[in-house]
Amino acid sequence: LAGPPSPPGQDPHGWRVPVDCVRANELCAAEPSCSSRYRTLRQCLAGRDRNTMLANKECQAALEVLQESPLYDCRCKRGMKKELQCLQIYWSIHLGLTEGEEFYEASPYEPVTSRLSDIFRLASIFSGMDPATNSKSNHCLDAAKACNLNDNCKRLRSGYISTCSKEISATEHCSRRKCHKALRQFFDRVPSEYTYRLLFCSCKDQACAERRRQTIVPSCSYEDKEKPNCLDLRNTCRTDHLCRSRLADFHTNCQASFQSLTSCPGDNYQACLGSYAGLIGFDMTPNYVDASTTSITISPWCSCKGSGNMEEECEKFLRDFTENPCLRNAIQAFGNGTDVNLSP
Amino acid sequence: QRRKRARARHKPCALKELEVSVSELGLGYESDETVLFRYCSGTCEAAVRSYDLSLKSMRSRRRIKKEKVRARPCCRPLAYDDDVSFLDAYNRYYTVNELSAKECGCV
Repeated sequence: LAGPPSPPGQDPHGWRVPVDCVRANELCAAEPSCSSRYRTLRQCLAGRDRNTMLANKECQAALEVLQESPLYDCRCKRGMKKELQCLQIYWSIHLGLTEGEEFYEASPYEPVTSRLSDIFRLASIFSGMDPATNSKSNHCLDAAKACNLNDNCKRLRSGYISTCSKEISATEHCSRRKCHKALRQFFDRVPSEYTYRLLFCSCKDQACAERRRQTIVPSCSYEDKEKPNCLDLRNTCRTDHLCRSRLADFHTNCQASFQSLTSCPGDNYQACLGSYAGLIGFDMTPNYVDASTTSITISPWCSCKGSGNMEEECEKFLRDFTENPCLRNAIQAFGNGTDVNLSP
Repeated sequence: QRRKRARARHKPCALKELEVSVSELGLGYESDETVLFRYCSGTCEAAVRSYDLSLKSMRSRRRIKKEKVRARPCCRPLAYDDDVSFLDAYNRYYTVNELSAKECGCV
């Protein structure tokens, strides 16, 4: 795709170089025509729905011009500096472009290109590490040990555990908001070789599977008094730029595909596990629904009760968690330490 | 050979570490989780102050008789590590503070 004749954001051959939205915003701000159109568009989108906005000629013109600017195909990085600002810029353009009510939304995050197979190799080394491993092994316990022996992992793990199990009052048994924040810090700042081992350890007995289920302190971060409807929960999530982005990323990287061997897009387990972990600490926090060792069932805290005529859509949404072969294969492959070998 | 061993026993005060299970800590928690226990160990000969010499002298002159006094510095934590959290055998989380030493000194 050859870019339009605007030099910033392009390499010497005229190909568009992907830039993050914070940088794209700076490039746009340096250009009077771009910055004025962008200002117009943001005013158009503020507090109005897409259809009213597009009915306005000025708004439509602004959107058309911005499609030619580096802002149009900018992306964000997980855990980058100013991640929220980057996502706000991304959605300010993309909410104008899409219906905003699509089932699957494109991920605002850069695609995970590096297949970090090292993590899988590590997992396989660990799983065969202990000599007494076969009979009485508990990989989830081993994962906790590995985390406790690393100062950074131990500090942030203790951080979220103590926050999530701290009682506030007789009626409120923890602060969910603080618990979610501490969980996000853990998953953002601790290398995935530690966090994935805790989250996706493979189990042969129930004690292990229960420990795995307990990883995110579900009594505070996951369970609630009532189970909301999944589509209502999705709407809540979509009002928050971060939650919306993480959900879109999950749909992009974990959507079951029937064209690949592993059922994962591009056979990339790493990307699916990463976007799964990226949902933890938001309204759409997923978890294991029970301590079963034989079947892995994942779900956010919601059900399809009370869906009305949206029942089918709700079930489809929920199945992407509960009956997703890509997600299940990715978790099992990580637990067994077997990444796919793509032979050419 | 003997002198070498003797010298090894008189290492100056420093931080050492052990991998222990939570149950082994003896705090009453039942958990197989392993934690890193850092402790202070070593001698404090180099840190003897005029205070210690004088106190010793007072004691030998029987100016101090009944009271319990310590006329030599000892190797203790100057600071403690952050909290440690773990899951116990009954699937309950606990957090323990000031479990492990972070810095040692002769005090």
